[in-house]
Amino acid sequence: MSVQQSQDTGRPVRLNWRMRIRRDKTLLMMTVPSIALLLVFNYAPLFGLATAFQDYDPLIGVWHGQWVGFDQFRQLFHDPQFWDSLKNTIYLSFVQLILFFPIPIVLALLLNTVLSMRVRNFIQSVVYLPHFFSWVLTITIFQQMLGGAGLLNQYLRSHDMSTWDIMTNPHTFALLITGQAVWKEAGWGIIVFLAALAGINSELYEAAAADGAGRWRRMWHITLPGMRGVIVLMLVLRLGNALSVGFEQFLVQRDAVGHSSADVLDTFSFYYGITTNNYSYGAAAGLFKSVISLLLIWGANKLAHAFGEDGLYRK
Amino acid sequence: MSSQLNRRTFVSAAASVAGAAAMAPLLSACGGGSHQKTGANTKAGLKAALPAYVPSTAVKPDIPSVSGGGNGAATDPAFLHYPTDQVATVSGVPGKGGSYTAVTPLWGTIPPAGNSFYQAMNKALGVDLTVKPADGNNYNTIVPTMTAARRLPDWIQLPAWWNNAFNTGELAGTQLADLTPFLAGDKVKKYPNLAALPTGAWQTCAWGDKIYGIPCVSTNFALAGAIFYRRDSLEAKGITADQVKSADDVWNLGKELTDAKRGVWAFDDVWTYLSLFWGVPQQWKLVDGKLIHKYELPEFLEAMDWHYRLAKSGFMHPDALAGNNAGQGTRFYSGKALIAGGGLGAWNLADYQSGTAADKNYRRGSFNVFAADGKSTPSIFLGPSASMISYLNKRLKPAQIEELLSVANYLAAPYGTREYTMVDYGVEGVHYTMNNGVPTATKEGQKFVQATTYPFLASPTSVISNQGADVVTKDYTAWAAANVKYGYEPLFWNVNISLSQSLATAAAAQSVEDTIKDCYHGKKKVSDVQAAISSWKSSSGDRLTRWMTTNVLDKVGTGQ
Repeated sequence: MSVQQSQDTGRPVRLNWRMRIRRDKTLLMMTVPSIALLLVFNYAPLFGLATAFQDYDPLIGVWHGQWVGFDQFRQLFHDPQFWDSLKNTIYLSFVQLILFFPIPIVLALLLNTVLSMRVRNFIQSVVYLPHFFSWVLTITIFQQMLGGAGLLNQYLRSHDMSTWDIMTNPHTFALLITGQAVWKEAGWGIIVFLAALAGINSELYEAAAADGAGRWRRMWHITLPGMRGVIVLMLVLRLGNALSVGFEQFLVQRDAVGHSSADVLDTFSFYYGITTNNYSYGAAAGLFKSVISLLLIWGANKLAHAFGEDGLYRK
Repeated sequence: MSSQLNRRTFVSAAASVAGAAAMAPLLSACGGGSHQKTGANTKAGLKAALPAYVPSTAVKPDIPSVSGGGNGAATDPAFLHYPTDQVATVSGVPGKGGSYTAVTPLWGTIPPAGNSFYQAMNKALGVDLTVKPADGNNYNTIVPTMTAARRLPDWIQLPAWWNNAFNTGELAGTQLADLTPFLAGDKVKKYPNLAALPTGAWQTCAWGDKIYGIPCVSTNFALAGAIFYRRDSLEAKGITADQVKSADDVWNLGKELTDAKRGVWAFDDVWTYLSLFWGVPQQWKLVDGKLIHKYELPEFLEAMDWHYRLAKSGFMHPDALAGNNAGQGTRFYSGKALIAGGGLGAWNLADYQSGTAADKNYRRGSFNVFAADGKSTPSIFLGPSASMISYLNKRLKPAQIEELLSVANYLAAPYGTREYTMVDYGVEGVHYTMNNGVPTATKEGQKFVQATTYPFLASPTSVISNQGADVVTKDYTAWAAANVKYGYEPLFWNVNISLSQSLATAAAAQSVEDTIKDCYHGKKKVSDVQAAISSWKSSSGDRLTRWMTTNVLDKVGTGQ
């Protein structure tokens, strides 16, 4: 905290930066390793963005590379594949936001109502587990269960019923990947909401119950307002990440539904940039994505502040 | 069972990652627009640079090579028994005690550094050679970091299907040593085992009229692949390979063999290899003296249409349509998919062992090359004579290059010689023991020797040998002997071409290839492929054709 209450006026007084550093030096020391990590792995590679404005060749290097200005971007904006993947990214992100985002919240609320710690731990472990599976494994399980030669369809076939083709249908792909994401990540997503629930003062519930508030009224007036800050924060982060819908999940299933349904911005950069040695083109697509993401996260944060929430930081 | 793949499987396994090796033209990207060299060779220049060919008579095969009758192809000779009296082709130790490092790709577990096999090899070679195998699956991303930092090892394997990713054409002469002064013409006779490598294989090592590489795992009969079938299952239904002579015959097999209720489908993915039976060329075709890309040929679209209908027919395994390539082996072994396209490297001892473990009747067969219409003369293009090529660092002094070439000569000793036994099996009693005349790897041998390292620096011409599974050797050689006559040398065969970055991207035609894949999986129509092709043509394809015409075809010809 950089602000303390002045004893005589009651108004906040700012400490000068030396005093703050002296006071917080232990905490600051603790952040050094993560800052070093960030610098080395997140900030230093930013210099590589220069390649988006070059005709980059690894043998020649960035320093001697040929500058081409916005050529890569011009080419990018004329590439129908790029617009397809942008469209897919936004659409898939939107579907996930609507169908995926509320689920961990609901799960957390449900889990919170379970009183027996043993049952609660058991459920928690079961729903956490898929988070530790890789996407390859998750998709293999889905393929074994729901695939054309999977358990369900072989059963349907052997009983002379028509088969259900969800794994290779491009039109329902958004539902499929959201379903997979829910199965794999929803359990993990509840952690932060459970923490928010634990932070709500239990006296509030007792007081409300004494005043005759029922279960639903308590949830509406105590639980949800208590979680609102965290929900908004998660929403801001989610929006900022809207253009990062995932990579492996799409890479693995690209051949199953076809590239025009499965390509998102990240796989676009991979296939049309890296695998064809067109590094600058991939970098341009990546940079475009970063700029849009930055705008999104900035906008979402503004919105959070407008609603009186903290967002990413307190105003 | 040995889970290690043999050399041929390595090549094919790697190729399936990179997209059929034999299908890939030997292209390499070169940087920027300022570089005008194409990498292609002139007839006279190449002739002067190529090493002389002196075939080896060290070991006599049980099944001799069969010539394709003037088409430049000849099958690999085969051995049913491991030679008992192993002749030596190298006297003394080849090295003079120099110290070197080498990097090769390895598709498997990396053996520990300084293990007993490496030590024994160093003693036999007379050098201190530190072999550093790197993960084959990421090899195409590992090498560019070394070249960008100009820190290539003394000796490195650069698989030709990654020439574009490695920019090999640009590296030749700037970071990779010119071996022409040491190997051209009769000079190679100083290294008799290298002189016994086929001329075609040396051509794949040439960039701009100079020899830069040493060919590994070379062959005179490289095909993109074949259409395999479960011989045991089909013969049980009275179907033999010689009954399949046209695309219609194949289609009828689909009807006959598919039994979805029992979980059996006739086909796995076949497009990559079956489409060639429509006469689709490797990349280019010369029509009335004009260079035409395969995408623009009617036979290509006909093949595409047939495969689209196949995807919709219900004869293809659903997992294949879902793009699950990794499961192809399992589907074939378990008899869930009975016909599948694949690289020829799949037809070997390891395959026999995996197959018979799943089903004791397992037997792999391959359809003969046929023309899709059943009337034309069957033909199939030959792949490059070598796709695994090792290079020496330009920093090396002439004496060091000579020392390493002597080491390469040792490593390239023909099958069954004393040197070959050392390189492929290690030390008797430590890494292998003789069992009924078959060298059998010990535990130590499996761990250290079977992980292919040295053969990717230099190796003799391929032979067929599946000790303990004569049926595989006999089946394969019979098929190869029957089909070798159908091979033809495609345009720019064994020619290295260095493309600029943007032309390399055009040649990769990612958007077209993606749409093709979606089409043979039934997700996109042939008209979508046509649309992708026409947009590729206008954006970069036509430019590629023009460049190839003026810079390669008009200047140095077709390479034939």
